[in-house]
Amino acid sequence: MALIFIRTTIIFVVLLLVMRLMGKSQIGEMQPFEFVISLVIAELACIPMADSSIPILYGIIAIVAIFILHQIVWLTELWFKPVKNVVSGKPSVVINKNGIDEFQLKKNNLDVDDLIESMRVAGYFNLDDVYYGLYEANGSFSALAKEETASNSLSLTLIDRGKADKKNLARCGIAGEKLNSILRENDAKLKEVVAMTVNGEGRVYFQKRGEKYKILQVQVNGQW
Amino acid sequence: MVKAISYTVVAFALCVGLFIFTDLYLTRQFGEFSTALDALYTKIEDETATVEDGNAVRALWSDKKEKLHIFIPHNDISYIDYWLGECCGLLKNGNYELAIGKIEVLKEIAKNLPDAYTVRLENIF
Repeated sequence: MALIFIRTTIIFVVLLLVMRLMGKSQIGEMQPFEFVISLVIAELACIPMADSSIPILYGIIAIVAIFILHQIVWLTELWFKPVKNVVSGKPSVVINKNGIDEFQLKKNNLDVDDLIESMRVAGYFNLDDVYYGLYEANGSFSALAKEETASNSLSLTLIDRGKADKKNLARCGIAGEKLNSILRENDAKLKEVVAMTVNGEGRVYFQKRGEKYKILQVQVNGQW
Repeated sequence: MVKAISYTVVAFALCVGLFIFTDLYLTRQFGEFSTALDALYTKIEDETATVEDGNAVRALWSDKKEKLHIFIPHNDISYIDYWLGECCGLLKNGNYELAIGKIEVLKEIAKNLPDAYTVRLENIF
């Protein structure tokens, strides 16, 4: 019985560690340890239920072990703030006054497309629609919105962390020399661009690595 | 808060109590079973064992396994059932040479099975 308890504890700790390493993109609006519990507990309940060769007491012990671990994590987080940062993580500010914080995005295993998607879910359709954007410890996205949004047109991602999206570039007619001239004007190479998006009105969000974002105006092929 | 802490402490204490009880219980049950197997082994060696001796060990095991099912996987119990059944069959035919092999296996299982559930590094991993 003690073996089951110890093994459950080891699996819990390993899963928690892996979930923390995976970053906020994987946990889906739960604290990492809550996510681990929901991941494990269903299986723990099912195995002794379906496999009659395993005593049901094994399942009960494992579930009680999970309960005790949950209580320990919860109480420790309550009493010692630094533990909370380690176990559950802290919010990551991915958009600040300078634009996208690439380091925070990388740290959470996210790319610009993920960020744009999270923003759309939150109701913001342009990267500069918010002053600050952050991923909470539970993986949900929060933002401090600007009073006025940039436009009422949808943005397309043209460059995501140095990688050009050829399909989107062709769709808005900025492919080839036109893109190169925009990059030259802004003294940037393709791989130095953190993010470049354009909306249907030709409003470009352009951010070079290590610099504040810029808003440019270009001619685009119609609306989308 | 106090309620949550007390639930946790009570759950942990109950678990620890159960672990200690299980460990002692398994050691004791398998100890008794091993003693019975040793006695049967001696009789088989002397070629004086009868099918009644085998059945007596079987009855002892049947009594124990009813409760052991709560604590150890049922497959482990069925191993003992299997080997004990074979041993009793061989005793019925007076085949002591083969029966001694079966009883050796049983002794080994009875010796090693409780160890498989104790807290040891090799059992954890």
